[in-house]
Amino acid sequence: MRIDAYITEYARKTPLNIALEEGKNSISYSCLEKDISDISLLLMDFKHCRFAILAESGIQYVKLLMAVYRSENIAIPLPIEFPKFSLEQILDSAHINNIITTDTQYSRYGESFFERFGTVVVVSGDTSVKILRKDIKAETNIPELRLVLYTSGTTGTPKGVMLSDKNLVANGESIIEVLNINSKDKGALVISPHHAFGNSIIDSHLMAGGSIRIGNMNFMNSVFNLIGSGVSIFYGVPSTYRMLLRYPDRFREAFSTVRTAASAGGGMDKAIVKEIRELAPGLGILPMYGQTEATARLAYVPAEDVDRFIDTIGKAIPGVTLEVFDSEHRPVEPNITGELVAGGENLLLGYLDDEIATENKIINGWLYTGDLARKLPNGYIQLLGRKDDLIKIGDHRVNPREIEKHIEENNRVSRVFVVPVPHEFMGTAISLMVIPTEETEIENLFAFCRKSLPGYLCPREILFIDHLPLSENGKISNRSIIEEYKHVKDSV
Amino acid sequence: MEQIKNCIIDYLKANSFMDKDTPLEDSDSLTQNGIIDSIGLLELIDFISEKYSIEIPEDMLTPENFDTLQGISGMIHKLVK
Repeated sequence: MRIDAYITEYARKTPLNIALEEGKNSISYSCLEKDISDISLLLMDFKHCRFAILAESGIQYVKLLMAVYRSENIAIPLPIEFPKFSLEQILDSAHINNIITTDTQYSRYGESFFERFGTVVVVSGDTSVKILRKDIKAETNIPELRLVLYTSGTTGTPKGVMLSDKNLVANGESIIEVLNINSKDKGALVISPHHAFGNSIIDSHLMAGGSIRIGNMNFMNSVFNLIGSGVSIFYGVPSTYRMLLRYPDRFREAFSTVRTAASAGGGMDKAIVKEIRELAPGLGILPMYGQTEATARLAYVPAEDVDRFIDTIGKAIPGVTLEVFDSEHRPVEPNITGELVAGGENLLLGYLDDEIATENKIINGWLYTGDLARKLPNGYIQLLGRKDDLIKIGDHRVNPREIEKHIEENNRVSRVFVVPVPHEFMGTAISLMVIPTEETEIENLFAFCRKSLPGYLCPREILFIDHLPLSENGKISNRSIIEEYKHVKDSV
Repeated sequence: MEQIKNCIIDYLKANSFMDKDTPLEDSDSLTQNGIIDSIGLLELIDFISEKYSIEIPEDMLTPENFDTLQGISGMIHKLVK
Protein backbone atom coordinates (compact mmCIF):
# COMPACT_ATOMS: atom_id res chain seq x y z
CA MET A 1 0.00 0.00 0.00
CA ARG A 2 1.18 3.56 -0.71
CA ILE A 3 1.07 6.19 2.01
CA ASP A 4 -1.37 8.36 0.02
CA ALA A 5 -3.81 5.42 -0.15
CA TYR A 6 -4.38 5.82 3.60
CA ILE A 7 -5.59 9.36 2.93
CA THR A 8 -8.04 8.04 0.32
CA GLU A 9 -9.32 5.53 2.85
CA TYR A 10 -9.82 8.11 5.64
CA ALA A 11 -11.39 10.53 3.14
CA ARG A 12 -14.07 7.88 2.73
CA LYS A 13 -14.38 6.74 6.36
CA THR A 14 -13.90 10.03 8.23
CA PRO A 15 -14.08 12.74 5.55
CA LEU A 16 -14.57 15.65 7.95
CA ASN A 17 -11.74 14.76 10.33
CA ILE A 18 -8.89 17.25 10.24
CA ALA A 19 -5.71 15.89 8.64
CA LEU A 20 -3.37 18.89 8.70
CA GLU A 21 -3.23 22.24 10.48
CA GLU A 22 -0.91 25.16 9.89
CA GLY A 23 -1.33 28.59 11.49
CA LYS A 24 -4.99 29.52 11.11
CA ASN A 25 -5.52 27.00 8.28
CA SER A 26 -6.61 23.42 8.48
CA ILE A 27 -7.67 20.80 5.95
CA SER A 28 -9.93 17.77 6.31
CA TYR A 29 -9.17 14.33 4.91
CA SER A 30 -11.73 14.76 2.12
CA CYS A 31 -10.35 18.14 0.99
CA LEU A 32 -6.77 16.89 1.25
CA GLU A 33 -7.70 13.89 -0.89
CA LYS A 34 -9.26 16.14 -3.54
CA ASP A 35 -6.24 18.48 -3.67
CA ILE A 36 -3.78 15.58 -3.95
CA SER A 37 -5.82 14.10 -6.83
CA ASP A 38 -5.98 17.45 -8.62
CA ILE A 39 -2.22 18.05 -8.45
CA SER A 40 -1.36 14.44 -9.30
CA LEU A 41 -3.45 14.57 -12.52
CA LEU A 42 -0.84 16.91 -13.96
CA LEU A 43 1.94 14.40 -13.26
CA MET A 44 0.18 11.31 -14.58
CA ASP A 45 1.93 11.23 -17.97
CA PHE A 46 5.32 10.86 -16.28
CA LYS A 47 6.15 7.19 -15.79
CA HIS A 48 8.05 6.54 -12.56
CA CYS A 49 10.26 9.63 -12.91
CA ARG A 50 12.34 11.49 -10.35
CA PHE A 51 10.71 14.66 -9.04
CA ALA A 52 12.60 17.06 -6.82
CA ILE A 53 10.29 18.80 -4.36
CA LEU A 54 11.44 22.26 -3.29
CA ALA A 55 8.93 23.49 -0.74
CA GLU A 56 8.92 25.00 2.72
CA SER A 57 7.38 22.94 5.52
CA GLY A 58 3.60 23.20 5.57
CA ILE A 59 0.31 21.79 4.29
CA GLN A 60 1.43 22.53 0.74
CA TYR A 61 4.54 20.37 1.13
CA VAL A 62 2.49 17.36 2.24
CA LYS A 63 0.16 17.79 -0.76
CA LEU A 64 3.06 17.89 -3.22
CA LEU A 65 4.72 14.84 -1.67
CA MET A 66 1.49 12.83 -1.76
CA ALA A 67 0.71 13.98 -5.31
CA VAL A 68 4.07 12.63 -6.49
CA TYR A 69 3.28 9.35 -4.73
CA ARG A 70 -0.25 9.28 -6.20
CA SER A 71 1.06 9.70 -9.76
CA GLU A 72 3.45 6.78 -9.11
CA ASN A 73 6.52 8.93 -9.53
CA ILE A 74 9.54 9.26 -7.24
CA ALA A 75 9.71 12.05 -4.66
CA ILE A 76 13.05 13.67 -3.83
CA PRO A 77 12.43 16.34 -1.17
CA LEU A 78 15.21 18.93 -1.11
CA PRO A 79 16.31 20.02 2.37
CA ILE A 80 15.77 23.75 1.97
CA GLU A 81 17.79 24.59 5.05
CA PHE A 82 20.95 23.45 3.23
CA PRO A 83 23.00 26.21 1.58
CA LYS A 84 22.35 26.63 -2.14
CA PHE A 85 25.63 24.99 -3.16
CA SER A 86 24.76 21.78 -1.23
CA LEU A 87 21.43 21.63 -3.05
CA GLU A 88 23.23 22.08 -6.35
CA GLN A 89 25.63 19.28 -5.34
CA ILE A 90 22.66 17.00 -4.68
CA LEU A 91 20.99 17.95 -7.96
CA ASP A 92 24.15 17.43 -9.97
CA SER A 93 24.68 13.92 -8.62
CA ALA A 94 21.04 12.79 -8.56
CA HIS A 95 20.19 13.36 -12.26
CA ILE A 96 16.81 14.91 -11.63
CA ASN A 97 15.00 16.22 -14.70
CA ASN A 98 11.80 17.37 -13.00
CA ILE A 99 11.03 19.74 -10.15
CA ILE A 100 7.86 20.75 -8.40
CA THR A 101 8.09 23.84 -6.23
CA THR A 102 6.06 26.53 -4.46
CA ASP A 103 5.91 30.09 -5.73
CA THR A 104 7.70 31.20 -2.53
CA GLN A 105 10.72 28.99 -3.29
CA TYR A 106 10.58 29.82 -7.00
CA SER A 107 11.06 33.51 -6.32
CA ARG A 108 13.61 32.83 -3.56
CA TYR A 109 15.91 30.69 -5.72
CA GLY A 110 15.28 32.65 -8.93
CA GLU A 111 14.75 31.61 -12.52
CA SER A 112 18.37 30.68 -13.24
CA PHE A 113 18.37 27.98 -10.53
CA PHE A 114 15.57 26.19 -12.38
CA GLU A 115 17.25 26.23 -15.78
CA ARG A 116 18.79 22.81 -15.20
CA PHE A 117 15.36 21.13 -15.15
CA GLY A 118 13.42 19.90 -18.17
CA THR A 119 10.15 20.09 -16.25
CA VAL A 120 9.28 22.89 -13.82
CA VAL A 121 5.93 22.89 -12.01
CA VAL A 122 5.09 25.81 -9.70
CA VAL A 123 2.22 25.54 -7.22
CA SER A 124 0.67 28.57 -5.56
CA GLY A 125 -2.37 29.06 -3.35
CA ASP A 126 -4.17 25.81 -2.62
CA THR A 127 -3.91 23.88 -5.88
CA SER A 128 -3.29 26.48 -8.55
CA VAL A 129 -0.60 24.82 -10.63
CA LYS A 130 1.50 26.41 -13.34
CA ILE A 131 3.59 24.22 -15.63
CA LEU A 132 6.46 26.41 -16.79
CA ARG A 133 8.08 23.69 -18.88
CA LYS A 134 7.38 20.06 -19.51
CA ASP A 135 9.86 17.57 -20.95
CA ILE A 136 9.06 13.94 -20.24
CA LYS A 137 12.21 11.85 -20.40
CA ALA A 138 12.23 8.08 -19.94
CA GLU A 139 14.14 7.05 -16.81
CA THR A 140 15.39 3.73 -15.51
CA ASN A 141 14.79 3.42 -11.79
CA ILE A 142 14.47 0.54 -9.35
CA PRO A 143 10.79 -0.47 -9.67
CA GLU A 144 10.08 -0.22 -5.92
CA LEU A 145 11.65 3.23 -5.53
CA ARG A 146 9.20 5.80 -4.17
CA LEU A 147 11.14 8.30 -2.06
CA VAL A 148 14.73 9.52 -1.80
CA LEU A 149 15.66 11.13 1.52
CA TYR A 150 18.91 12.91 2.11
CA THR A 151 20.90 12.29 5.27
CA SER A 152 22.08 15.41 7.00
CA GLY A 153 25.59 14.41 6.06
CA THR A 154 27.75 13.23 8.97
CA THR A 155 30.29 12.21 6.36
CA GLY A 156 30.43 15.27 4.14
CA THR A 157 28.50 14.87 0.89
CA PRO A 158 24.84 14.10 1.53
CA LYS A 159 23.77 10.63 0.39
CA GLY A 160 20.36 9.90 -1.16
CA VAL A 161 18.64 7.03 0.64
CA MET A 162 16.22 5.12 -1.60
CA LEU A 163 13.02 3.96 0.07
CA SER A 164 10.03 1.95 -1.12
CA ASP A 165 6.31 2.06 -0.27
CA LYS A 166 6.88 -1.09 1.78
CA ASN A 167 9.67 0.62 3.77
CA LEU A 168 7.49 3.62 4.55
CA VAL A 169 4.45 1.59 5.59
CA ALA A 170 6.47 -0.92 7.66
CA ASN A 171 8.23 1.81 9.65
CA GLY A 172 5.00 3.81 9.97
CA GLU A 173 3.23 0.79 11.47
CA SER A 174 6.04 0.16 13.97
CA ILE A 175 6.00 3.80 15.08
CA ILE A 176 2.21 3.78 15.45
CA GLU A 177 2.52 0.77 17.74
CA VAL A 178 5.32 2.19 19.90
CA LEU A 179 3.65 5.57 20.34
CA ASN A 180 0.13 4.16 20.38
CA ILE A 181 -1.00 6.73 17.80
CA ASN A 182 -4.71 6.81 16.98
CA SER A 183 -7.15 8.99 15.04
CA LYS A 184 -7.67 11.26 18.07
CA ASP A 185 -3.98 12.15 18.25
CA LYS A 186 -2.56 15.42 17.05
CA GLY A 187 1.18 15.33 16.38
CA ALA A 188 3.37 18.45 16.30
CA LEU A 189 5.71 18.76 13.33
CA VAL A 190 8.14 21.59 14.07
CA ILE A 191 11.26 19.98 12.61
CA SER A 192 12.15 19.70 8.94
CA PRO A 193 9.77 17.36 7.02
CA HIS A 194 12.45 16.83 4.36
CA HIS A 195 14.49 14.40 6.48
CA ALA A 196 13.63 10.97 7.89
CA PHE A 197 12.37 12.05 11.33
CA GLY A 198 9.95 14.70 10.07
CA ASN A 199 8.82 12.46 7.22
CA SER A 200 7.99 9.67 9.67
CA ILE A 201 5.76 12.02 11.69
CA ILE A 202 3.73 12.76 8.56
CA ASP A 203 3.46 9.08 7.59
CA SER A 204 2.57 7.65 10.98
CA HIS A 205 -0.11 10.21 11.86
CA LEU A 206 -1.78 10.07 8.44
CA MET A 207 -1.67 6.26 8.49
CA ALA A 208 -3.46 6.35 11.86
CA GLY A 209 -6.10 8.79 10.58
CA GLY A 210 -5.00 11.42 13.09
CA SER A 211 -3.88 14.98 12.52
CA ILE A 212 -0.63 16.92 12.36
CA ARG A 213 -0.08 20.50 13.40
CA ILE A 214 2.73 21.96 11.28
CA GLY A 215 4.92 24.84 12.40
CA ASN A 216 8.58 25.59 13.01
CA MET A 217 10.93 26.42 15.85
CA ASN A 218 11.70 29.99 14.77
CA PHE A 219 9.49 32.06 17.03
CA MET A 220 9.19 30.69 20.54
CA ASN A 221 5.89 32.35 21.35
CA SER A 222 4.36 30.74 18.27
CA VAL A 223 5.89 27.35 19.12
CA PHE A 224 4.46 27.34 22.64
CA ASN A 225 1.05 28.39 21.31
CA LEU A 226 1.25 25.53 18.82
CA ILE A 227 2.08 22.99 21.54
CA GLY A 228 -0.71 24.26 23.77
CA SER A 229 -3.29 24.05 20.97
CA GLY A 230 -4.29 20.46 21.71
CA VAL A 231 -1.17 18.66 20.51
CA SER A 232 -1.03 15.19 22.09
CA ILE A 233 2.38 14.06 20.80
CA PHE A 234 5.31 16.44 20.45
CA TYR A 235 8.39 15.46 18.46
CA GLY A 236 11.81 17.05 18.69
CA VAL A 237 15.53 16.45 18.43
CA PRO A 238 17.47 17.05 21.67
CA SER A 239 18.26 20.64 20.67
CA THR A 240 14.54 21.30 20.17
CA TYR A 241 13.99 20.42 23.84
CA ARG A 242 17.00 22.47 24.97
CA MET A 243 15.56 25.50 23.19
CA LEU A 244 12.10 25.02 24.70
CA LEU A 245 13.53 24.50 28.19
CA ARG A 246 15.01 27.99 28.10
CA TYR A 247 11.49 29.17 28.87
CA PRO A 248 10.47 26.97 31.84
CA ASP A 249 7.19 28.73 32.65
CA ARG A 250 5.93 28.53 29.10
CA PHE A 251 7.15 24.92 28.89
CA ARG A 252 5.17 23.93 31.99
CA GLU A 253 2.01 25.58 30.70
CA ALA A 254 2.21 24.37 27.09
CA PHE A 255 3.11 20.76 27.88
CA SER A 256 0.46 20.34 30.58
CA THR A 257 -1.94 18.93 27.97
CA VAL A 258 0.59 16.92 25.92
CA ARG A 259 0.61 13.12 26.32
CA THR A 260 4.04 12.19 24.95
CA ALA A 261 7.29 14.00 24.18
CA ALA A 262 9.14 11.89 21.63
CA SER A 263 12.70 12.46 20.52
CA ALA A 264 15.13 11.18 17.91
CA GLY A 265 18.11 12.42 15.96
CA GLY A 266 20.55 12.27 18.87
CA GLY A 267 20.67 11.02 22.44
CA MET A 268 18.60 12.75 25.11
CA ASP A 269 20.83 13.37 28.08
CA LYS A 270 19.98 13.04 31.76
CA ALA A 271 19.85 16.81 32.24
CA ILE A 272 17.12 17.29 29.63
CA VAL A 273 15.04 14.43 31.01
CA LYS A 274 15.38 15.76 34.57
CA GLU A 275 14.26 19.24 33.58
CA ILE A 276 11.30 17.94 31.60
CA ARG A 277 10.27 15.71 34.53
CA GLU A 278 10.30 18.68 36.91
CA LEU A 279 8.24 20.91 34.65
CA ALA A 280 5.82 18.33 33.27
CA PRO A 281 5.52 15.38 35.67
CA GLY A 282 2.64 13.76 33.77
CA LEU A 283 4.36 13.86 30.39
CA GLY A 284 5.59 10.57 28.90
CA ILE A 285 9.13 10.82 27.52
CA LEU A 286 9.94 8.54 24.62
CA PRO A 287 13.49 8.65 23.24
CA MET A 288 13.90 6.89 19.89
CA TYR A 289 16.90 5.97 17.80
CA GLY A 290 17.07 5.55 14.08
CA GLN A 291 18.71 6.24 10.77
CA THR A 292 17.51 7.50 7.42
CA GLU A 293 18.75 4.17 6.04
CA ALA A 294 16.12 2.46 8.20
CA THR A 295 13.38 4.77 6.84
CA ALA A 296 13.39 6.46 10.23
CA ARG A 297 13.24 4.50 13.50
CA LEU A 298 15.01 1.40 14.80
CA ALA A 299 14.79 1.45 18.60
CA TYR A 300 13.10 3.13 21.56
CA VAL A 301 13.40 3.36 25.31
CA PRO A 302 10.07 2.29 26.87
CA ALA A 303 8.55 5.08 28.99
CA GLU A 304 8.93 3.15 32.27
CA ASP A 305 12.67 2.69 31.70
CA VAL A 306 13.58 6.22 30.67
CA ASP A 307 15.01 7.24 34.03
CA ARG A 308 17.16 4.14 34.45
CA PHE A 309 18.22 3.57 30.86
CA ILE A 310 18.47 7.03 29.30
CA ASP A 311 22.09 6.30 28.36
CA THR A 312 20.91 3.44 26.11
CA ILE A 313 18.81 3.34 22.94
CA GLY A 314 16.58 0.72 24.58
CA LYS A 315 15.26 -2.09 22.41
CA ALA A 316 14.17 -2.67 18.82
CA ILE A 317 10.80 -1.36 17.66
CA PRO A 318 8.30 -4.02 16.53
CA GLY A 319 9.29 -5.52 13.18
CA VAL A 320 12.99 -4.77 13.65
CA THR A 321 15.80 -7.03 14.87
CA LEU A 322 18.94 -5.49 16.36
CA GLU A 323 22.20 -7.36 16.86
CA VAL A 324 25.78 -6.49 17.72
CA PHE A 325 28.29 -8.06 15.32
CA ASP A 326 32.07 -8.41 15.41
CA SER A 327 34.30 -7.63 12.42
CA GLU A 328 33.69 -11.16 11.08
CA HIS A 329 29.91 -10.52 10.92
CA ARG A 330 29.23 -12.78 13.91
CA PRO A 331 26.99 -11.87 16.88
CA VAL A 332 28.92 -11.07 20.07
CA GLU A 333 28.05 -11.78 23.71
CA PRO A 334 26.44 -9.12 25.94
CA ASN A 335 28.84 -6.42 27.14
CA ILE A 336 31.21 -6.96 24.22
CA THR A 337 31.62 -4.01 21.87
CA GLY A 338 30.85 -4.48 18.19
CA GLU A 339 28.92 -2.82 15.40
CA LEU A 340 25.15 -2.41 15.67
CA VAL A 341 23.31 -4.08 12.78
CA ALA A 342 19.60 -4.11 11.99
CA GLY A 343 17.18 -6.27 10.07
CA GLY A 344 13.56 -5.58 9.08
CA GLU A 345 11.24 -4.41 6.33
CA ASN A 346 12.27 -0.81 6.85
CA LEU A 347 15.81 -1.18 5.46
CA LEU A 348 16.67 1.01 2.49
CA LEU A 349 16.71 -0.23 -1.11
CA GLY A 350 20.15 1.34 -1.42
CA TYR A 351 21.85 4.68 -2.00
CA LEU A 352 20.80 6.57 -5.11
CA ASP A 353 23.19 5.85 -7.98
CA ASP A 354 25.87 4.54 -5.60
CA GLU A 355 26.24 0.78 -5.68
CA ILE A 356 29.52 0.69 -3.80
CA ALA A 357 28.15 2.59 -0.82
CA THR A 358 25.08 0.33 -0.89
CA GLU A 359 27.21 -2.85 -0.82
CA ASN A 360 29.12 -1.55 2.19
CA LYS A 361 25.95 -0.65 4.05
CA ILE A 362 23.84 -3.79 3.54
CA ILE A 363 25.69 -7.08 4.00
CA ASN A 364 23.79 -10.40 3.96
CA GLY A 365 20.53 -8.55 4.49
CA TRP A 366 21.76 -6.68 7.58
CA LEU A 367 22.03 -2.91 7.75
CA TYR A 368 25.41 -1.92 9.20
CA THR A 369 24.62 1.21 11.19
CA GLY A 370 28.22 2.35 11.66
CA ASP A 371 27.47 2.76 15.37
CA LEU A 372 29.61 0.95 17.91
CA ALA A 373 27.43 -0.70 20.53
CA ARG A 374 27.12 -3.31 23.20
CA LYS A 375 24.17 -5.25 24.46
CA LEU A 376 23.43 -4.97 28.18
CA PRO A 377 22.43 -8.13 30.06
CA ASN A 378 18.73 -7.05 29.88
CA GLY A 379 18.97 -6.83 26.07
CA TYR A 380 19.00 -3.04 25.87
CA ILE A 381 21.61 -1.54 23.61
CA GLN A 382 24.14 1.09 24.52
CA LEU A 383 25.87 3.13 21.82
CA LEU A 384 29.60 3.78 22.12
CA GLY A 385 30.32 6.24 19.32
CA ARG A 386 30.72 5.99 15.56
CA LYS A 387 32.84 3.28 13.99
CA ASP A 388 34.29 5.90 11.63
CA ASP A 389 35.43 7.86 14.67
CA LEU A 390 37.82 5.16 15.90
CA ILE A 391 41.33 6.58 15.83
CA LYS A 392 44.42 4.58 15.02
CA ILE A 393 47.21 5.61 17.36
CA GLY A 394 50.38 3.69 16.63
CA ASP A 395 48.91 0.21 16.28
CA HIS A 396 46.09 0.78 18.76
CA ARG A 397 42.49 1.33 17.69
CA VAL A 398 41.04 3.81 20.13
CA ASN A 399 37.47 4.97 20.68
CA PRO A 400 37.69 8.70 21.47
CA ARG A 401 34.19 8.74 23.04
CA GLU A 402 35.32 6.21 25.67
CA ILE A 403 38.40 8.26 26.56
CA GLU A 404 36.26 11.37 26.88
CA LYS A 405 33.87 9.58 29.21
CA HIS A 406 36.69 8.21 31.34
CA ILE A 407 38.26 11.65 31.79
CA GLU A 408 34.90 13.34 32.42
CA GLU A 409 33.92 10.85 35.10
CA ASN A 410 37.14 11.21 37.04
CA ASN A 411 37.88 14.92 36.87
CA ARG A 412 36.28 18.25 37.66
CA VAL A 413 35.32 19.23 34.14
CA SER A 414 32.12 19.93 32.27
CA ARG A 415 32.92 18.25 28.94
CA VAL A 416 35.97 16.71 27.29
CA PHE A 417 36.60 16.24 23.56
CA VAL A 418 39.40 14.17 22.11
CA VAL A 419 41.02 15.70 19.00
CA PRO A 420 43.11 13.48 16.74
CA VAL A 421 46.29 15.42 15.83
CA PRO A 422 49.20 14.41 13.58
CA HIS A 423 52.19 12.82 15.31
CA GLU A 424 55.65 12.24 13.91
CA PHE A 425 55.98 8.64 15.05
CA MET A 426 52.55 7.31 15.92
CA GLY A 427 50.84 8.85 12.91
CA THR A 428 48.15 10.22 15.15
CA ALA A 429 48.13 11.38 18.75
CA ILE A 430 45.45 13.13 20.76
CA SER A 431 44.89 16.58 22.15
CA LEU A 432 42.02 17.55 24.41
CA MET A 433 39.53 20.35 24.21
CA VAL A 434 37.85 20.87 27.55
CA ILE A 435 34.81 22.85 28.64
CA PRO A 436 35.99 23.72 32.16
CA THR A 437 34.09 24.25 35.39
CA GLU A 438 35.31 26.79 37.92
CA GLU A 439 37.44 24.10 39.53
CA THR A 440 39.17 22.77 36.42
CA GLU A 441 42.95 22.97 36.41
CA ILE A 442 45.07 22.02 33.43
CA GLU A 443 47.87 20.58 35.60
CA ASN A 444 45.47 18.19 37.33
CA LEU A 445 44.12 16.99 34.01
CA PHE A 446 47.58 16.34 32.65
CA ALA A 447 48.49 14.52 35.86
CA PHE A 448 45.37 12.35 35.64
CA CYS A 449 46.04 11.43 32.01
CA ARG A 450 49.67 10.58 32.68
CA LYS A 451 48.71 8.40 35.61
CA SER A 452 45.62 6.63 34.35
CA LEU A 453 45.96 6.40 30.57
CA PRO A 454 48.51 4.50 28.52
CA GLY A 455 51.39 6.69 27.34
CA TYR A 456 50.23 6.88 23.72
CA LEU A 457 46.97 8.44 24.93
CA CYS A 458 48.61 11.20 26.92
CA PRO A 459 47.33 14.46 25.39
CA ARG A 460 49.80 16.67 23.50
CA GLU A 461 47.93 19.76 24.63
CA ILE A 462 44.81 20.73 26.52
CA LEU A 463 42.73 23.68 25.33
CA PHE A 464 39.81 25.28 27.12
CA ILE A 465 36.73 26.04 25.01
CA ASP A 466 33.34 27.41 25.94
CA HIS A 467 30.83 25.53 23.82
CA LEU A 468 30.03 22.17 22.22
CA PRO A 469 31.49 21.37 18.80
CA LEU A 470 28.28 20.04 17.22
CA SER A 471 27.89 18.95 13.61
CA GLU A 472 25.00 20.13 11.40
CA ASN A 473 22.67 17.48 12.73
CA GLY A 474 23.50 18.31 16.33
CA LYS A 475 25.67 15.27 17.01
CA ILE A 476 29.22 15.16 18.27
CA SER A 477 31.61 13.59 15.79
CA ASN A 478 35.32 13.65 15.11
CA ARG A 479 34.62 15.91 12.17
CA SER A 480 32.81 18.53 14.25
CA ILE A 481 35.51 18.32 16.92
CA ILE A 482 38.34 18.76 14.42
CA GLU A 483 36.54 21.73 12.85
CA GLU A 484 36.16 23.37 16.26
CA TYR A 485 39.81 22.63 17.05
CA LYS A 486 40.97 24.35 13.86
CA HIS A 487 38.72 27.26 14.66
CA VAL A 488 40.17 27.57 18.19
CA LYS A 489 43.76 27.31 16.90
CA ASP A 490 43.12 29.92 14.20
CA SER A 491 41.77 32.40 16.72
CA VAL A 492 44.69 32.01 19.14
CA MET B 1 16.01 53.59 14.57
CA GLU B 2 18.47 53.73 11.67
CA GLN B 3 21.35 53.13 14.06
CA ILE B 4 19.66 50.09 15.62
CA LYS B 5 18.96 48.69 12.16
CA ASN B 6 22.59 49.02 11.04
CA CYS B 7 23.76 47.33 14.21
CA ILE B 8 21.47 44.34 13.50
CA ILE B 9 22.65 44.19 9.88
CA ASP B 10 26.27 44.11 11.05
CA TYR B 11 25.43 41.34 13.50
CA LEU B 12 23.66 39.30 10.80
CA LYS B 13 26.52 39.72 8.37
CA ALA B 14 28.99 38.46 10.96
CA ASN B 15 26.87 35.67 12.45
CA SER B 16 24.42 34.32 9.92
CA PHE B 17 24.11 32.85 6.47
CA MET B 18 23.82 36.37 5.06
CA ASP B 19 26.32 37.16 2.31
CA LYS B 20 28.20 40.42 2.54
CA ASP B 21 26.46 41.74 -0.56
CA THR B 22 22.96 40.30 -0.09
CA PRO B 23 20.50 43.13 -0.61
CA LEU B 24 18.05 43.04 2.28
CA GLU B 25 14.90 45.12 2.35
CA ASP B 26 13.48 46.23 5.68
CA SER B 27 10.46 44.01 5.25
CA ASP B 28 12.14 40.88 3.84
CA SER B 29 11.59 37.72 5.87
CA LEU B 30 14.83 36.64 7.55
CA THR B 31 13.68 33.06 8.08
CA GLN B 32 12.12 32.49 4.65
CA ASN B 33 15.19 33.87 2.92
CA GLY B 34 17.40 31.48 4.84
CA ILE B 35 19.30 34.28 6.57
CA ILE B 36 18.67 32.98 10.06
CA ASP B 37 17.38 29.75 11.62
CA SER B 38 15.82 28.92 14.96
CA ILE B 39 19.09 28.59 16.88
CA GLY B 40 20.43 31.74 15.20
CA LEU B 41 17.33 33.59 16.39
CA LEU B 42 17.90 32.56 20.01
CA GLU B 43 21.48 33.83 19.75
CA LEU B 44 20.23 37.08 18.22
CA ILE B 45 17.84 37.47 21.16
CA ASP B 46 20.78 37.07 23.59
CA PHE B 47 22.82 39.59 21.61
CA ILE B 48 20.02 42.17 21.60
CA SER B 49 19.23 41.69 25.30
CA GLU B 50 22.85 42.27 26.24
CA LYS B 51 23.63 45.04 23.79
CA TYR B 52 20.59 47.15 24.66
CA SER B 53 20.25 45.94 28.27
CA ILE B 54 16.65 44.96 27.75
CA GLU B 55 14.59 41.96 28.67
CA ILE B 56 12.42 40.66 25.86
CA PRO B 57 9.21 39.13 27.22
CA GLU B 58 8.41 35.67 25.81
CA ASP B 59 5.13 36.75 24.28
CA MET B 60 7.10 39.14 22.07
CA LEU B 61 9.01 36.28 20.41
CA THR B 62 6.79 36.38 17.33
CA PRO B 63 7.32 36.75 13.57
CA GLU B 64 6.04 40.35 13.76
CA ASN B 65 8.91 41.27 16.09
CA PHE B 66 11.68 39.02 14.81
CA ASP B 67 11.28 38.06 11.16
CA THR B 68 12.23 41.40 9.54
CA LEU B 69 14.75 44.17 10.11
CA GLN B 70 11.83 46.54 10.50
CA GLY B 71 10.19 44.34 13.15
CA ILE B 72 13.41 43.86 15.13
CA SER B 73 14.43 47.52 15.18
CA GLY B 74 10.87 48.60 16.02
CA MET B 75 10.72 46.13 18.89
CA ILE B 76 14.10 47.24 20.31
CA HIS B 77 13.10 50.90 19.97
CA LYS B 78 9.90 50.24 21.93
CA LEU B 79 11.62 48.26 24.69
CA VAL B 80 14.52 50.70 25.14
CA LYS B 81 12.06 53.51 25.72
